[in-house]
Amino acid sequence: MPGVLKTETGKGLALSAPASLYVGLLVAAPLAILVAYSFWTQTYVAIDKTLTWANYIEAATDPLVRHLMLRSILIAGAVTLATVALAYPIAYFIAFRTQKKTLWLLLITIPFWSSYLLRVFSWKLILGFNGVMNSALLTTGAIDEPLTFLLYNEFAVVLTLAHAWAPFAILPIYVSLQKIDRAYLEAATDLGCNRLERFFRVTLPLTVPGIIAASLIIFIPTVGDYVTPSLVGGSQGKMIANLMQVQFGAANNWPLGATLSLVAMASVGAVAIGFVVITTALGRRIR
Amino acid sequence: MKIKTRSLLTAAALAAGAGTAFAGAEDLTIFDWSGYEDQGFYGDYVAKHGGAPSYTYFGSVEEAFTKLQSGFTADLAHPCTDALRKWVAADLIKPIDTSKITNWDSLLPQIKDVDGVTIDGNTYMVPFEWGNTGLIYRTDEIADDKISLQMLADPAYQGKVAIPDAASSAYAMAALATGASSYTDMSDAEFQAASDYLRSIHQNIRFYWSDAGQLDQAIASGEVLMGWGWNQSELNLIWNETPAKMMRDVDKGIATWVCGYVHLKSSEQSDEQVYDMLNALSAEASGKYIIESWGYPHSNAAAFQSADQELIKTYGFDDVDSFFEGSLFFDAVTPELEARMLKEFERIKAGF
Repeated sequence: MPGVLKTETGKGLALSAPASLYVGLLVAAPLAILVAYSFWTQTYVAIDKTLTWANYIEAATDPLVRHLMLRSILIAGAVTLATVALAYPIAYFIAFRTQKKTLWLLLITIPFWSSYLLRVFSWKLILGFNGVMNSALLTTGAIDEPLTFLLYNEFAVVLTLAHAWAPFAILPIYVSLQKIDRAYLEAATDLGCNRLERFFRVTLPLTVPGIIAASLIIFIPTVGDYVTPSLVGGSQGKMIANLMQVQFGAANNWPLGATLSLVAMASVGAVAIGFVVITTALGRRIR
Repeated sequence: MKIKTRSLLTAAALAAGAGTAFAGAEDLTIFDWSGYEDQGFYGDYVAKHGGAPSYTYFGSVEEAFTKLQSGFTADLAHPCTDALRKWVAADLIKPIDTSKITNWDSLLPQIKDVDGVTIDGNTYMVPFEWGNTGLIYRTDEIADDKISLQMLADPAYQGKVAIPDAASSAYAMAALATGASSYTDMSDAEFQAASDYLRSIHQNIRFYWSDAGQLDQAIASGEVLMGWGWNQSELNLIWNETPAKMMRDVDKGIATWVCGYVHLKSSEQSDEQVYDMLNALSAEASGKYIIESWGYPHSNAAAFQSADQELIKTYGFDDVDSFFEGSLFFDAVTPELEARMLKEFERIKAGF
């Protein structure tokens, strides 16, 4: 055994064994079970294990699934766009404009010190009918009646998710900005670029990997978010995960729920790959 | 510090000692809604066994079903009648021997007769508490003689309505509003009418509530003026001094739910101990306690005589008989209809 551990291959295997075991047991095995379920069918309280495409046909032909899937992708897209657009200037500020980088990075992680669920509830308190926002506007006389369009719609979902995920966008963009060799920027200035040109032709293209990383980190989990739409989404803000939850809960149709999960994974994968290809191409083009 | 540690250890040793002395009491496990571990509900069990049983909680009957089906074990569980057909079909529960339930004859006959308590000739549940699901409304905004289920669809109340995010409850309301002959076995035309009704109120809906607190707060603040909800919400609003009440006119539509305890097949405790608990839960004293301190009506008829009559009146259970006459009960819906309801309700909620 000690002999094996001395060879390069042995070392590699030993190092990767815990992670492989973990991924195998907790990711691959459940995924395999999910795939198996998606080809079975539910018969009231039992599972019919005859393999069939029935669930996939139902998911593909049901306009409700398409509608919710599309809405989830659009909401997650809006969240990604808003978060990355807002995060970029902050990351830029930390990377180029301040000496107290550690302090700022620490401040950015503060939202993470409270639980995700609490943050969602806080937004509910802020946007609610007799919430902070409405109370403030009523007191100042800006409105006569509480605004009702603040909560229970797609807007509330996008706002809540964008706030909750902001640090995930700031950190990768900050890292990619930090990595830029300052000599490039000087060279661009020497060659006659003004500040705006320098940003668009040097800084931005060099941070494309950071933007892609930030976008994927936000887009992929938010498409499948369940708790935010169910708490602040109302009936107009429901997403695909809420339909999956119904299948695994009230409807007690695990096979259909499994199919929906896999269809969602495939859709998210397709959108994400498309996004990476397009952004990389765009990044090259501006250079 | 040292002294404190020692006293803690002593306390722990004492507690452990007490635990062994009454080993039996907490060996009985109950799978329940949170809150029902209240010792006032089973005083006789505590008196006999010297302690309370152990509780594990679920948040919804669906969650309980899923957990039990994937192998969770306990002695007793606390579902509601509308779920029972499924629980029996999944072979999760065993029949109750009513001859061993000393209070069986004192239980309200209308509650004992609810479909789901008895299925195919076997009794599966000892009913514990019941209550109403009805239209709760703000009395300062809507007059008593104007209120009706049809009002939920009135365009004047856009964004002022909330109904539960639960297909069975929504369809019970729809069945009452559209005058369907039966809720558990609707004809195609009746199902269509009920779905159309739910669609017509969708445009007015502020939110489909998933926890009752959300509804209570929205009615209290005036965010919504009408909501289909449980009597517990009405009570909370009464206690909060909000001008609101439940529409209790049986001709206009009100539903009654019944929940109780079932004997799980996975039970490992002796029948004697299980039935001690069932008898304690259905006792008159437990009934008096839940009526007075929780505002929930109990299944034991005698409890309505011994409980504080003023409170009973305030909570609206003073005329139980005439009330049952016209109420819709949440019976166990046929599986096919249940699946249709769930599917259609998801569509309605999404605006389809």
